[in-house]
Amino acid sequence: MTAPTLNQVARTGERSSFLGRASGSPLMRLVARRLFVSILIVWAISALVFAMLAAMPGDVARNQAGMGASEEQVDDLRRQLGLDQPPVARYFLWLSAVFRGDFGSSLISGQPISTLVAERLPVTMELVLLAFVVSLAIAIPVAVLAARKPGGIFDRGVMVVSMTLLAVPNYVLALLLVVVFAVLLRMLPAIGYVPLSEGIIPNLISVTLPVAALAIPLAAFYTRFLRGDLVEVMNSQDYVETARSKGAGPWRVLWQHAFRNSSFGMLTIVGLNIGGLVGGTVIIEQIFAMPGLGVMLLQGALSGDSPVVLVCVIIFAAVAVGANLVVDLMYAVLDPRIRYGSH
Amino acid sequence: MKKDVKAGRAAKKLVGALALLVSLGLAATGCTSGPAESPTDSGADAGDPQSGGSLTVLLDGGFSGGYATGLDPATSNTVGANLSQNAAIFGGLFVLNSDEDGQNGRIDPNQAESYEFSEDSLTLTIKLREGITFSDGTPVNADAVIWNWIRGLNSGSTSSPTVLLVRDAEPQISDELRESIVSALPSTHDPVKLEQDLGAIRAVDDLTVELRFTAVNATFINGLPGTNLNWLASPTAFKELGAAEFKVAPVGAGPFTVASAALSQKLVLERNPSYFKEGLPYLDELTFQTTNGDQVAYQTLLAGQADVIEGLSTVSLTDTAKSNPDLVVTEAPMTSPYVVQLNTRIAPFDNQKAREAVYYATDWDAINQGVFKGAGEPSQSFTASAGLFHNPEVPGYRTFDLDKAKALVKEIGGLKVVLGTTNTGVAPVVNTALQTQWQAAGIEVELKNQPLGDVITTFIGGNWDAMLQTAGAWDPSTGIGVGVRFGSTSPFSGAALPEGAANAQEAIQKQLTTPLDDLLADAIGTLDPDERDAVYKEIAQYISDEALAPFGFAFSDAQVVRQGVHGPGLTTKIPALAVRMGVLYDQVWVEG
Repeated sequence: MTAPTLNQVARTGERSSFLGRASGSPLMRLVARRLFVSILIVWAISALVFAMLAAMPGDVARNQAGMGASEEQVDDLRRQLGLDQPPVARYFLWLSAVFRGDFGSSLISGQPISTLVAERLPVTMELVLLAFVVSLAIAIPVAVLAARKPGGIFDRGVMVVSMTLLAVPNYVLALLLVVVFAVLLRMLPAIGYVPLSEGIIPNLISVTLPVAALAIPLAAFYTRFLRGDLVEVMNSQDYVETARSKGAGPWRVLWQHAFRNSSFGMLTIVGLNIGGLVGGTVIIEQIFAMPGLGVMLLQGALSGDSPVVLVCVIIFAAVAVGANLVVDLMYAVLDPRIRYGSH
Repeated sequence: MKKDVKAGRAAKKLVGALALLVSLGLAATGCTSGPAESPTDSGADAGDPQSGGSLTVLLDGGFSGGYATGLDPATSNTVGANLSQNAAIFGGLFVLNSDEDGQNGRIDPNQAESYEFSEDSLTLTIKLREGITFSDGTPVNADAVIWNWIRGLNSGSTSSPTVLLVRDAEPQISDELRESIVSALPSTHDPVKLEQDLGAIRAVDDLTVELRFTAVNATFINGLPGTNLNWLASPTAFKELGAAEFKVAPVGAGPFTVASAALSQKLVLERNPSYFKEGLPYLDELTFQTTNGDQVAYQTLLAGQADVIEGLSTVSLTDTAKSNPDLVVTEAPMTSPYVVQLNTRIAPFDNQKAREAVYYATDWDAINQGVFKGAGEPSQSFTASAGLFHNPEVPGYRTFDLDKAKALVKEIGGLKVVLGTTNTGVAPVVNTALQTQWQAAGIEVELKNQPLGDVITTFIGGNWDAMLQTAGAWDPSTGIGVGVRFGSTSPFSGAALPEGAANAQEAIQKQLTTPLDDLLADAIGTLDPDERDAVYKEIAQYISDEALAPFGFAFSDAQVVRQGVHGPGLTTKIPALAVRMGVLYDQVWVEG
């Protein structure tokens, strides 16, 4: 081992002073605090879900063994699956394995859960991200256009359509989309998923209908929310009047003043909706036979595959908690008052 | 389907029936077959079978499309549900076949050439066809059968049959084969049982295997295609791939080989060029796609993304499909009637009058007309027309009589029942209809529709009143047949326990039986079909006289295919071995 050079010492000093400054900054303290709380929440969810799974009626060994199996076969299977141990012991064994990077294996297929997650997470994340982007890409311009002339024809039309779409459950919408675009028009596939590795166009074609089924109700919700908020801001805020009195045009007032203000509320709603969006994939993946985490979660739940359910729920929870963490931090970046603890 | 099916629609109307077919196998208890069956026409008005093309088959994730435990027969717990995939990959020692209308079902030797029972019926000798190889080029011989059977019986799979094999025979097996078997078993296997099984199963010569029982087992061959012993996998491929990979993409000697696979999602198969039947399979590619629910499957078929739905059970969709000129619907021959199992071990159904009230209160005909549009086949016992030992009417059977039901309910001072079933398919609808009818007779009914796993748990807990199920199979004593539903030691039976036994475990330990148990044992204790038929009649009479469980009618799923698809089990009928028609995919073809 050689002694550090002067340069290395100097760089270390710079880094520690940077870290010192960073750890002393209110934003970093906020990040650390929120991150810690988020980890606690995910851990608490894991314990809660494990307890619920353990308390659920049913015997996974018996279910897996089927009606024709003898009691001996079922007992053997129970031992093989490690289900003969008490739940608390199983939880701590599981937790310690997780800290070692081992999520365990499916009770049903015996496949490593990390492998299953690696195969399926990209599918679900692609659906969620695209649905998220598409819903905002629809909602923001439509809401702004509708808010431009409240009570006008476009605004009324948007309200009727969005209300209708909000009233339709996404699985019904999914089936309707399939009837129109797959059965009648033969434009898009009814089921199946083409991985990105087989080409971006085939991939996008395969996810179009599921993404639409997830994004459309969400877009309707965002549109109604944003349109309402924009109209309220335009009618009631002093700075909007000030901007108008300074001669700013209506579009400029809408975009630069009202929308910027409304985006805070929108950010909250988007953060809260991520959890719902991820949860929505459970049904949508079923309908479109997408090999994602949602299908894995449902199959695991129906077959009593508790390790699989546990990992899926934790991932879903982590995504929801993570999204809210990002939203919190964006608030802090956008509004210094939060950073300094005044809110 | 890559082939153009539109041309097929026109062709279908023109072409007369092709020659007839097939395989006049012998009756189920017969002994030998002729040469491997030749390619056959597999659909009326279809024309000559054509080679080539591909086919996508939709399977329900809740049953045949679910194979979470994999496709290695030795370790899969869903062999009976995944018959199509298994037949396509492994071929099978035996297949269930029948006339085109689904009648005269029979077990045909397939990779096996023949089978024979000894005079005392305790030794079964199976001879394999010569020259069959697995798709990896290794031979299908007696050693391969022993390797597969020992694995199948000792790997903890619940798809293995319950067989009573001799326990005292000395194993006669080479060290090499023993080593190969042991290395392929899970570490949890029972070494004592392994030695016993190795003694009971032996190679007579390179193509002949012998299996020795301790008691006559009339259902072994009839039930074999539904168990893991029917499907032979390549020992060499297992060694090369390892257990984890093998369960996803196993290697067999069937008409197709695995091109790609994702468990319970999608299985893509390619033609096996070394398949042992000349000219077969017809298809170049066969894909099994798992979907969730009949509605999704039907829409996928209409969208042109698939060619076949195996086992459509929603009656309204089946009717819609029937009126669609682009589709062909084939309803499966019936083998399993609905039954309301009554738990006679506890109140209220420990009282025969309560059970009789339920018999009289149930109008099965109304349910058949109202829910199934008359498609169900009435049955007063556990058999149906396409199964063996069909016995639709039982003398003295209590049929619908509302006045008698009301009088009995009044006589016993009222009746409260929890009526359970699975929460899938049409079962909850039937349960609601039963509730309505029973309430008209003064019976208070609470419905409990649960997922299958919870139904199983409820059965095992023993605290249940009545359960709508199906009872029966092609051979009544195989699968979820009469033994499972009415044997006193079965966890899925509500029949009375033997006197002197507080529970099933005690009955087994003390070797106690009920008169019904004795009859059930007699039914499989002889190979003589006439004797078996007589015993099953006695069993049906016993169940009816004791009012153990009212039987309704048999109903089966339908196969829905696009015009231009033909094949046995898709456009011609084969009885359901247990739940659904088996499809002989090596003979399935598409019009060009």
